[in-house]
Amino acid sequence: MLTTIKKLTVQYTEDDHALLALDRVDLTLAPGRITALVGESGSGKTTLGKAVMGLLPDNARVQGEIFLDQDNLLDFDEARMTPIRWAKAAMVFQNGAANLNPVHRLKYQVAEPLIQRGMPKKQAMALAGTRLTAMGLAPELADRYPHELSGGQVQRGLLAMGLILDPPLLILDEPTAALDAVTKSFVADVIHACRAQNKSVLLITHDLDLAGALADDIAVLYLGQVMEYLPGRNLLAHPAHPYTLALARAFPTMDAVRDLGGIRGDAFYRMVHAHAADNGHTHVHTHVAAPDAFHQGGHAPPEGCLFQPRCTQAIPACSLGSVDMEITPDGDHRVRCLRGGIARMLHFEQVAKSYGKVTALYPTDLTLMAGEVFCLVGETGSGKTTLAMIAAGAVSPDQGTRYFQGRNMDLWMKKEAASLASRIGIIYQNPAESVSHRLTVFEIVAEPLRIHNTAADEAEVKDRVRSALSDVRLSCAPEFLKRYPHELNMGAIQRVCLARALVHEPDLLVADEPTSALDPSVQAKVLKMLLTLQIEKGVTLLFVTHNIGLARKVADRIGVMSGGRLIETGPAARIINHPDHEFTQALIRSARGLIRPRAAASSSA
Amino acid sequence: MHFSARQTWLTPVLAYVAAALILAFLSHSLPRMLPGDFVTAMYGASDVTLTPEQAAGLRAQYQDDSGFTAFLGRIFCLDWGYSHAFLAPVSALFFDALPWTLVLMVTAHLLSSILGFVLGVEAAWRRGTRMEKAGVGIMTVLEGIPELCSGVLLLLVFALNLGWFPAAGAQTAYADHTFVQQVADRLHHLALPLITLVLAYFPGNFLLARAGMVMVMKSPFVLTARAKGLPPLRVRYAHAARNALLPLVTRLGLRFAFMITGALVVETLFSYPGLGTLLFNAIAMRDLPLIQGIVLAASIMVLGINLALEFVYILLDPRVAHAS
Repeated sequence: MLTTIKKLTVQYTEDDHALLALDRVDLTLAPGRITALVGESGSGKTTLGKAVMGLLPDNARVQGEIFLDQDNLLDFDEARMTPIRWAKAAMVFQNGAANLNPVHRLKYQVAEPLIQRGMPKKQAMALAGTRLTAMGLAPELADRYPHELSGGQVQRGLLAMGLILDPPLLILDEPTAALDAVTKSFVADVIHACRAQNKSVLLITHDLDLAGALADDIAVLYLGQVMEYLPGRNLLAHPAHPYTLALARAFPTMDAVRDLGGIRGDAFYRMVHAHAADNGHTHVHTHVAAPDAFHQGGHAPPEGCLFQPRCTQAIPACSLGSVDMEITPDGDHRVRCLRGGIARMLHFEQVAKSYGKVTALYPTDLTLMAGEVFCLVGETGSGKTTLAMIAAGAVSPDQGTRYFQGRNMDLWMKKEAASLASRIGIIYQNPAESVSHRLTVFEIVAEPLRIHNTAADEAEVKDRVRSALSDVRLSCAPEFLKRYPHELNMGAIQRVCLARALVHEPDLLVADEPTSALDPSVQAKVLKMLLTLQIEKGVTLLFVTHNIGLARKVADRIGVMSGGRLIETGPAARIINHPDHEFTQALIRSARGLIRPRAAASSSA
Repeated sequence: MHFSARQTWLTPVLAYVAAALILAFLSHSLPRMLPGDFVTAMYGASDVTLTPEQAAGLRAQYQDDSGFTAFLGRIFCLDWGYSHAFLAPVSALFFDALPWTLVLMVTAHLLSSILGFVLGVEAAWRRGTRMEKAGVGIMTVLEGIPELCSGVLLLLVFALNLGWFPAAGAQTAYADHTFVQQVADRLHHLALPLITLVLAYFPGNFLLARAGMVMVMKSPFVLTARAKGLPPLRVRYAHAARNALLPLVTRLGLRFAFMITGALVVETLFSYPGLGTLLFNAIAMRDLPLIQGIVLAASIMVLGINLALEFVYILLDPRVAHAS
């Protein structure tokens, strides 16, 4: 049985407005395939499952088509839906035990659909018992009331109940939430078995691990729109949409080494208003959920990409018109992004640099994706700082081409240096040396604005300095603004430097050993703040450090440098857990305090 | 009841026996603290003046000086004393009146519970419709009308004005009826007090059932029941309403336990020869042994019904067995 969902739109109406839960969703559930639906809560995942079952509440307005083979379920009334439910499509709802009637025994509830369809009670109870045993529930457990069962036992019971009529379509809503690892893997086995029996499975989950491990296809839902449709194996490794990347980054996996990052901004609700002035014509407005959250005068623009307010790579065009799904170069992978997926922030082609006879950097290729944290790791003298300064535009390479946001950096610099410089912020290694001791805090932070002449007047300078200082949690009091660097401690000076780097609200932040001059407790605080700001501002971060332990906590991707060459790049988890290059292996071993890197490198060579 | 059946049975039974003993003691001692006595009540309003000696003699004759243990023994032998006012044994009076009250109250409670439950469940299912809103409005108003008021109105309209129903009694006295005629006659007499009680109890049951059902209908298991492709009636009653039953049973139990006092107003109003009328007369006459007997029987009935409820709850909702 093929399930085809076409342009499914669901609105929940309330008095004079409506909540838009699903917005023209297309999805196909094929036999023998597991399709995962992922997204934050409130993205409309459960609504989609209930829509297929015809179980939406009375205030739901449904448009579009849901075909089970040839039958459009949306044309069916309650009387015609009843025989389809459970026999053709069954749904295991979320929240476990709440889905079982507290006054009936488990086995009876499992057998009930059979009895209802005419099987003698004795036979139905026996079959239910067999199915429950197959799910790992002993006969005495099957005879219990729901409140006498554990969460895992309830979930096994619910699965047995969902499969009792062998439906060709099984919808599972968060089947593993709140389960222990053992039960979770059992549930995964059951889902696999369903695929083997040629059932279609719709797996609704926010567990990206589960989706990645089980699903053949994944649809990423955001505010009722499918943002990305991708093959399951690609979810964590190659997300194409910034939202998918952000979701993956927020998800705790066994592999994750970096601290978990949230997604900047808050999720919205989408409201549909019918304004009386427009004679009932409806306008889609996007409202924020939290009253004190990021808010654009009450209404976000009615058109444009839904994720744009929280996106790390939004360009003005993103807010102009609605965005369609596009097929990415790798075939079946579709993404709803004007920029064709996650954009390149910085791209080097064979960039090299020498100082006289000394080659600081051999020809190197490097790509930084928008919104990511890339860590350059290596010993002193390995060329990290040279590469970082070339990226920041502070050093020009001898050969090769640099692209920043898709434009040739050298040409850009010649034409409008100020506009390029204001998009890149730099933090240096030693805070005390990177500020002039003759300038006050205010003047230090205001300096980039004055050099590039990017503020309209003195009032704007003051505003932007204040906002940069409050971003780094420093005081904006006049007496603090008048202080000189020698009156501040190292942590505070580095924060002033960070404020200076952020005063232009750059797209790329290059941080060269920003915390190595700080003692560990201050380092931890500054780092935490830096990472929080990275998420809040959506800025791309190139982080240079000799400390691989630090890189592990900070990076999405890590590049390892040695002797002027970038010898290995990859996702942080892969580099830390399965380093390819022997130097990287040695570096990690030495960081764990086992052996010196040089000795290891020479002995294994 | 799964884990230790003995304990779940024994503990409440023992507790209720202890409570019954305390009640017996109270019903023995409390009436003795009432101001006034039978002799004063009987002769106080008449022209007869008793000499102190005569009064003391009469008091000595009617005074019950037996202690608590003797009292307890007599309860078990159904020797509840002798009514001074009616000149008959208390137990005989009690068991004469009991069937009339039982017929009236059991019918009233059954009717009002079934009616209230079914209509409440159906109203909740049709929540938000005009009919449901109107139903809730009417029931709320009815709930506010005391049975005294509706009883008097019914009596005025249907008995005194229209003459459709008899105004007093439980049957036509000294009539030469066949069995069928007798039953019809009794039902005819029963109608007005019964309607009065049903009108008093039914709106509360309706509102309670509806409120409970509205809550239950939000539960995920009701959605699951629908998802399982069960027909609407089965979803409504076997799954949803079944879980809304508990508060209604509690209310039924409480009401039923206060059967005698509950019937007092209506029985008196319609001169219905039940326990309520008997108690009313006994108090008016200061008939100490009769008051004592009725109060004690009523208290034991409260206890018995509560004890029964403990087990009914477990049958209705298996979670209750684990609540303690």
